[in-house]
Amino acid sequence: MKSRKNLVMSGLVAFLLIALVGCGSNNASNGNTAAGEKIMFASDASYAPMEYMDTDTIKGFDIDFIKAVMEEAGMKYEVKNTGWDTMLSSVKQGTEYQAGLSSVSITDERKETYDYSIPYFESTNMIMVKDGSSIKSALDLKDKKVAVQTATTADDLMSGIMGVDNGDLKRFDSNAVALMELNGGGVDAVVADIAIIREYIKNNPDQKLTGILDTTNFSSEYYGILLPKGSELKAKLDPAIKKVLENGKYAEIYKTWFGEEPNLDNLLNAK
Amino acid sequence: MDFRFDIIIHYLPVLFRGTMLTIGVSLVSIIVGSILGLGIGFGKMAPRWYWRWPFHCYINFFRGTPLIVQILIVHFGLIPAIYGSTNALLSAFVALSLNSAAYSAEIFRAGIQSIDQGQQEAALSLGMSKKQAMRFIILPQAIKRMIPAFGNEFIVLVKDSSLMSIVATQELMYWTTTMKGQYLRIWEPYLTAALIYFILTYSLSKLLNVVERRL
Repeated sequence: MKSRKNLVMSGLVAFLLIALVGCGSNNASNGNTAAGEKIMFASDASYAPMEYMDTDTIKGFDIDFIKAVMEEAGMKYEVKNTGWDTMLSSVKQGTEYQAGLSSVSITDERKETYDYSIPYFESTNMIMVKDGSSIKSALDLKDKKVAVQTATTADDLMSGIMGVDNGDLKRFDSNAVALMELNGGGVDAVVADIAIIREYIKNNPDQKLTGILDTTNFSSEYYGILLPKGSELKAKLDPAIKKVLENGKYAEIYKTWFGEEPNLDNLLNAK
Repeated sequence: MDFRFDIIIHYLPVLFRGTMLTIGVSLVSIIVGSILGLGIGFGKMAPRWYWRWPFHCYINFFRGTPLIVQILIVHFGLIPAIYGSTNALLSAFVALSLNSAAYSAEIFRAGIQSIDQGQQEAALSLGMSKKQAMRFIILPQAIKRMIPAFGNEFIVLVKDSSLMSIVATQELMYWTTTMKGQYLRIWEPYLTAALIYFILTYSLSKLLNVVERRL
């Protein structure tokens, strides 16, 4: 009996120790950098067309955008594909990577852990169903089986409508697998970023799919650059982002990637 | 301290639900996998090469390809072909059972072949049939030798079941990833999952030690 107690205690102590080690370095740097130092951006480059790997080169809207911002700020920088988890933990520590650039949505829950730059991208979600489906709006999804990518705005929105622990809300590691699930008949609809849905429907005409835009229930969400709590970098990035949004450079990059004009009024007025 | 216990507490009910599914999927898969594995193991000991060959191919395919690939093939290929559409839970049972069967087959085969040939000869000389010799002499001795390897296979299976989250099987790892996504925090979800997996596998290994001692 004594050995069992010891084991349980050892397990709990180990758990807490790891927790302390993991979190102890959180306030070590806060992403503050010396003048002239190269700013390191971590990214999960698996979200085309926002950020993706073209063989060994990282490309995408976010990459072109940050280039314009850093030129405006007059700072050296580098973006590295670290994967999602590494990005989250390293940006939180702020030592190796001082910021995260990965289409990260700004939410109140996430603001408890990170700071964000001002919003730089307005995101809207879209519903994808098979032709002839009875689903016409987001509210029709309440009793249906729905696929989303984990940790996206689509996940947040559908968690709000269906409940975060609803078994019919199926979260997949990537949008690609979620989209395949609709084709396999495992779900009635997929909710994802409008750019991703449109691209998929365009590339798969034989699958007979329809995209539904529901601006009533799917309000806009905004992407921000992820920063450690209390980062001094925010004071340098925010004015540069604002300048890029206002001087036409942003609209130029946006048109290159999405073929249309951005709604700059929404973006500049977003909180 | 920047460690959000409130997040863990908030997620405990769904983590518990996920843990129950992890246990259920692992248990059913090891049972079905063992039954299949026993047949495949005997098949691989068949006297003619052309009888052995299909079982040899099965074992090598499942041992030679990553589980994640097998899961995707089962989920998007096999299950829709049989069931008519994808089904995450069914995929979990089928993929893990098929994978486990390959490893169990080798454990059974190695266990049986580790018993000295003289044991069977002695049984036959006492007038037993080959089936009786296997049932009363060989298997009881072989099972004792198989238990440690079999226990290890069960522990590996419990951990491997976490890969099922890629096709949205709502087990422990699935809810861990959901928790991480909602709060964008790493330590709370992963440390909680690690602790639960550790408790599961450690309890299992203790249970298997008791079984081993009693045999």
